[in-house]
Amino acid sequence: MCGRDGKAAPLGGVAHRWLLWLLLLSSLAGCAQLVPQTIALRDDWPNGVPRAIELRDVPFFPQTEYQCGPAALAITMNAAGARVAPDDLVPAVYLPARRGSLQVEMLAAPRRYGLIGWQIPPAFDALLRELAAGHPVLVLQDLGLWPLSQWHYAVVVGFDYAAGELYLRSGENERQALPFTIFEVTWRRNGYWAMVVTAAGTIPASAGETDYLPALLAFDRIAAPEAARTAWDAFVARWPDNALANLALANRLYAERNLTRAESVLRAAARAHPASAEILNNLAQVLAEQGHGDEALAVIDRAAALPGPFAAEVTATRADILRRMAR
Amino acid sequence: MLSTTMKTLCRFLIVAMMSLSFQYANAGIIATDRAAAVAAAQTDRALVLSALSRSDVSSQLQAQGLDPALARERVAAMSDQEVRTLATSIGTAPAGADVSWGAVIIVGLLAWFLFYRT
Repeated sequence: MCGRDGKAAPLGGVAHRWLLWLLLLSSLAGCAQLVPQTIALRDDWPNGVPRAIELRDVPFFPQTEYQCGPAALAITMNAAGARVAPDDLVPAVYLPARRGSLQVEMLAAPRRYGLIGWQIPPAFDALLRELAAGHPVLVLQDLGLWPLSQWHYAVVVGFDYAAGELYLRSGENERQALPFTIFEVTWRRNGYWAMVVTAAGTIPASAGETDYLPALLAFDRIAAPEAARTAWDAFVARWPDNALANLALANRLYAERNLTRAESVLRAAARAHPASAEILNNLAQVLAEQGHGDEALAVIDRAAALPGPFAAEVTATRADILRRMAR
Repeated sequence: MLSTTMKTLCRFLIVAMMSLSFQYANAGIIATDRAAAVAAAQTDRALVLSALSRSDVSSQLQAQGLDPALARERVAAMSDQEVRTLATSIGTAPAGADVSWGAVIIVGLLAWFLFYRT
């Protein structure tokens, strides 16, 4: 929940409440189990990340009752370049019966605005890296005291390690300062869940090839043609060997009828992945449509020689090429 | 009674139509989502399940207070993987939402018992 009455008081008071509990619990259990990642940061600060950063330009939208989801999402989406108010996002993420927003929908909603939501790895390392790259990080906290849960979305916009604090846009609080320890206790209760929102063409700082690919495939399903092409262009520039990304980029170019570029992308991909029937099939089709029948036939014959799940499509494409040549 | 029969019939028809569409091969470009499904080693069965999950999640969202058109739009923005995750967890996933009052009552009773009864 995002504060039962929409007032800032429970959020402002939470730091003190937690501090008391922390003092009590840490004497019982030892700090290391409560805040393992904060302890680990002491000896292992992420390479290349400065000790203090604050993204002051990130806008602020105070939440209205229970609607920390739409407010937090509007903050990150505006930072990524969209012009959208929390009220516009209520129909996209708010669930009346739950008086809250589900994580899956928080990740899916930016796609409808041409932006890409991505769940970052569950670690301070990733969170700090994103901030260093200028991306505010939307986090799911549990502000309740055990055994009560009080789920809350907030946006981390900066930190100062020397002062031991993170800075958040949270609820009705434009700049909430939370100690690393208290933040970690509230953040770890749902497995350190955090996400970033980026414009098509910008890859998150903590993204890896296999983690990030599903986010782009999900984006590709509903994105506007140009945004999808821009996103795949950036992915292929970063990870040129990814067969699926090259195929996706070529498909978007093909849909734009940019057959010359589609051909060159597929040629390079076919050289790197000679056993990919789907790349050969699509290359053959693009060649055939440009009137290079003989070469198309040679390429589709290579695809036909490969076993695999695309045999039916390859056979159909081959017949189509022969028909085209007979005309 | 009728609605249960209709539901079963509809489900059967959806599955039948989906499996038919997978056997039909198009000449020309192999689409990205088809290549992605094969790359992720998704079987036809998994794809059918995703399609069923979509209508399932959509009706679960409606049960949580959304109107049908909005629920469909929201499900359309999700990937197959997300839909399958949500289909099994929509009731339990944290939603930036409720205090559970059952727990409040238990804690209250405990506190009362400890302070006044002992």
